[in-house]
Amino acid sequence: MNSNVMGKIKFLHKWLSLLVGIQLLLWIGTGLYFNLMDSQKARGTQYLAKSAPVSVDDTDKPAQIEPATLLNSFKPAVSLSQVTLLDKPYYLLTYDRALYPYFKNHYTLIDAITGKQVMIDQTMAKGLAVNSYKGPGIITSASRVSPPFDERLKEKNTLWRVNFDDEINTSVYIDAGSGRLVGHSNDDKRIVDIAFMLHFMDYTNEGSFNNVQIIVFAIFTLFFAFTGFIWTIELGLNGQYSLTQLLPKRLIKKQNNTIQVIDIDGQQLRHVSIPAHENLLDGLIHQDIALPSSCGGGGSCGRCRVKLKPEAKITACDNQQFTQDELNLGYRLACQHTSDEVDSLSLLDITQAEKHQLELISSEFISPFIKELRFKTVSSKPITFKAGAFMRFFIPAASSHSLPVALPESLSSHWNEIESHQFTHDSCSRNYSLANSDHALPDAENELHFTIKLQQAPKFAISQVINPGVGSHYICNLQPGDRIEAAGPFEEFSAQPISKRSMVLIGAGSGMAPLKSLIEEQLVKLKSTRPIHLFFGARSEADLIYQERFTTLAIEHKHFFYYPVLSRPTGLFNGSNPTSISITNHDASAHSRVNSGPTQGYVQDRLAAQLDEISKQAEGLANVEFYLCGPKPMMTSTIEQLKARGVKESAIAFDSFV
Amino acid sequence: MNLLKISRKYHRYLMLFLGVQFVIWTVSGAYMVIFDIDYIHGDTLVHNHQTKIAPDDVHYSLTQLIQTYPKAEQLELGMLIDKPVYRFKQGDEQHMLDAGTGAMLSPLPKAYAQAIAQHEYTGTGNIALIELITDNPPFELSGRHLPAWRVNFNDFGSPSLYISALTGKVVTKRHEFWRTFDLMFSLHVMDYEEEDPSNWLLFWFVCFALLACLFGLILTYYRIFKDDAVKPTAQGSSGQNEGVSS
Repeated sequence: MNSNVMGKIKFLHKWLSLLVGIQLLLWIGTGLYFNLMDSQKARGTQYLAKSAPVSVDDTDKPAQIEPATLLNSFKPAVSLSQVTLLDKPYYLLTYDRALYPYFKNHYTLIDAITGKQVMIDQTMAKGLAVNSYKGPGIITSASRVSPPFDERLKEKNTLWRVNFDDEINTSVYIDAGSGRLVGHSNDDKRIVDIAFMLHFMDYTNEGSFNNVQIIVFAIFTLFFAFTGFIWTIELGLNGQYSLTQLLPKRLIKKQNNTIQVIDIDGQQLRHVSIPAHENLLDGLIHQDIALPSSCGGGGSCGRCRVKLKPEAKITACDNQQFTQDELNLGYRLACQHTSDEVDSLSLLDITQAEKHQLELISSEFISPFIKELRFKTVSSKPITFKAGAFMRFFIPAASSHSLPVALPESLSSHWNEIESHQFTHDSCSRNYSLANSDHALPDAENELHFTIKLQQAPKFAISQVINPGVGSHYICNLQPGDRIEAAGPFEEFSAQPISKRSMVLIGAGSGMAPLKSLIEEQLVKLKSTRPIHLFFGARSEADLIYQERFTTLAIEHKHFFYYPVLSRPTGLFNGSNPTSISITNHDASAHSRVNSGPTQGYVQDRLAAQLDEISKQAEGLANVEFYLCGPKPMMTSTIEQLKARGVKESAIAFDSFV
Repeated sequence: MNLLKISRKYHRYLMLFLGVQFVIWTVSGAYMVIFDIDYIHGDTLVHNHQTKIAPDDVHYSLTQLIQTYPKAEQLELGMLIDKPVYRFKQGDEQHMLDAGTGAMLSPLPKAYAQAIAQHEYTGTGNIALIELITDNPPFELSGRHLPAWRVNFNDFGSPSLYISALTGKVVTKRHEFWRTFDLMFSLHVMDYEEEDPSNWLLFWFVCFALLACLFGLILTYYRIFKDDAVKPTAQGSSGQNEGVSS
C-alpha cells in the first residue's frame, strides 16, 4: 500500500484513539456488564405479581351499560374496550390511539355500571400497585408525575409512581389515564439503566440511542476500527506477526540466522547470530550492537537506520522515514525487518556502537553540582567518536544516597539545603554526552570525559521525599577503578562537514559537554583555523565550568573567542557597576578575547550584542554555523532570535535536555 | 521490556484475533444508532387511522352478544376500515363480529386482508404477495400473532404488513431496514440464533476486547502525552528522564 496513505491511516488511528478511546472502554465495559447481568433482575420485575385471570361469576355480574349508549354521551372515539381494575369492570374510551401504549394516548376511563367518568386517584393507584406487587414492602408514597421519567424514558403519558419500602426500593408505575400497569422498577434496574445510559451515550436522558452524540461517535469509531483493521493487515503483510514472538522462548526450538555486519566504511566487522524471526533491532542489541531507538521498535522514531540490500522489501514505515533515493540504496529501519530476510547489513549512523566495559579513572567536582568523570575502556581498546557523540550507560539496580560521597569541604555549603536520605532504585539506562574529543590531549589519549550534573529532586516536594536523579547519583558516586557498562558511541549532534565557515556555540548550565567536545575536536584534533565563538552562560562564578581551560584556549588560538556570561554573579562585581563592564562593542570584544572575563546577563543578550560583529567577520550570517545546547527556554529564545535574523534552520544544530 | 513495548505487542496480537469483530461491532453499532428506531419499526409504513365509531351504526347490542357468547372476555368495540366491530375472546379463541349485523367476520378471507393492507399502507407500491400463515412463522413474526396474513408490497425496502386473521389489526410491520437491523443486532451481541447477549462467545470476545482497549489506551497515552519523554536526545550532561525517576 502507498506509504503516504498508510501514514495518514496511522495518524488518524492515533488521534481517533484519543477522541473515542474512553467511550470505547465504556462501550466494552458495559457490554461485558450486559453479558453477565441477570436478565431477570434487569427487568426490574422481581416483585411483579402475575395477574391471575379474573373469573367473574356470571350470576353476580351486574349489567354493563350498552357501548352504543355510552358512545353517544362522550366525544367520538376510535375504540371502547372492557378493562377490569381491582375486580371492577370499566370501559376505556380511546380518542386517539398511538402506535404503542407508551406513546401519548388520549382516553377516558368510565365505570361500566354507572357510566360515570372515573379519575384514577391516589387510593386507586395504590390499590392497582399493590395488586401487581408480591414483595414484602409496604407503600411509602404515591405521587402523580409527568413525563419525562428517569426510569421510564420512553413513556409519554402521565403516571402514578407508587414507592414500596422493600430492600430494593421497588417503584410501581400506573398510567394515570387508563390504569394500565406500566411496569416496575427497582435498584437493580436502576443500575442497568445507568449501564444503558453509558452504552447508548444517552447523557441527556432522551430514552433513545439515536442521539446526536452517539451518531457522531459511531462514525468516528467506524473510522477508528477500519484504520486499525487496515493497520493490522499491513503488519501481517510485512511479516510482523510470528508465533515465536507470542510463545514463551523456551517452547520454541532455537534456530538462528547468521548475519554479516559491515561497518560504515564497508569494513566487515563480524558475523552475528540472531534468532529466527527476531527483528534486527532487538537481535543486534543482544549482540552488543545497540542501534538508537526511542519508540522501542514501533517504526515511528526512524532512528534505527541500517543499510540492507536495495531489493529488501520496503515497509510503510521505511517509506515514511526514508527518501526514495535512500530506499534505492537499501536504507531500512532495523525494527521493521527480521533476521530471516537478510544475510548481511551495514551499520550507518554509528561507527562502532557496541557495549563496552568502562573503568573510572577520575571523578572531580568542577562546580558545586557538576562533576567531570574520566573513563577508559577496560580492554584498553580506544573508542573513536565524533564530537557531540553520547554513550548510553547501563545503571544497575542499587542503593544510593542523596548527598554525594567525598564532597569537598569547600562545596559543602551548597549542599546544605539538600535533605540527606538513602534510597534504592531499579536498573535503567542513561545517555551522557562525551565532553572531550578522541585523541584530544596528549596526556588523556583514549579517555572518555563526561561532565555530569548531580540532578536534584524537585523542590516542590514537601510532604514526601522524592529521590534525586538516580543515574547521575549512581555514576557520580563511582570510585576510581569501578567499572560500568555503556553502549555507544551514538552520533547525532555532530559538526557539519569540515569547512571554513564560522562556528558559533551557545550553551548554558550543564549543556557544556557536546560544545566542549566540538571545540576540542576543531582546535586540537583537526587544528582548524576557522573562527569559533563560544557563548556560555552560568548562574554564578562557581558554576562557570572550564573557565580556565577556555581562557587558555582563547589566548593560544586567535580565532577562538570565549564569552562567559553570569546571570547571578556573587563576588566578582562587588563595588563596581556591572553595566559598565557589559561589553557591547568591537573594542570590548577584542578585550574579552584576551581577558575572557565574565559579563552579567543572559547568553542570548550577549549573543545579540555580538552577532553583528560575528556576521561582519564571516561576511554574512549565511556563512555561520550555530550549535546550541542547554536548557529549553534558553534554546527556544535563541533559536527564535537567530531565525529573526534570517538564519536558516539547517544552519542551527541543537541538543536539548531537561 | 517496558510498558510501551508490552502494550504495543499485545494490542497488535489481540487485534489480530479481535479486529474483525471490532469492525463488526462498529459497523453494526453505527447502523443501529444512525437509523431512527421508529423508522426501523416501520412506523412510517402505516397510517394508524383514527376513524371514529359512529354509535348509530352499532345495531348489535352487548346484551345480544353476551346471550350468544356468554363467556366473552376482553371485549372491545372498534373499527375495521369503516365498519364498527366487536373483538373479544371466548376461552382461548379470538373472535370478531360485525357490530352492525352481528355476523362473524373472523377468520378474515384474503380479499378482506388485502383491503385492510391497502387501507393502512402509506406507500404507493402494489401488493406483490398475500399469504396466510398459520404455523411456522417467519423469523420476523411472533408466533402469538398467528394466524396472520402476510401482505408484501412491491416497494423500496420490500415492506411486509402482517394482519391478524382474527382481529384484522396490523400486528407487525417489517421492511429491509428492520431485517438488516435484526441481523446487525445478532452480529453485535454475537448470538446468531437467539440474539441473547448472555452467551459465552460474546463473553470471551468482550474480555479480550477490554484488554486490547486498555493496551490501546496506554499506547495513546505514550504516543500523544508522553511523546516528549519517550524521545531521548543526546543529553548535555544530564540523563534522560533524570530528576524524578526513582
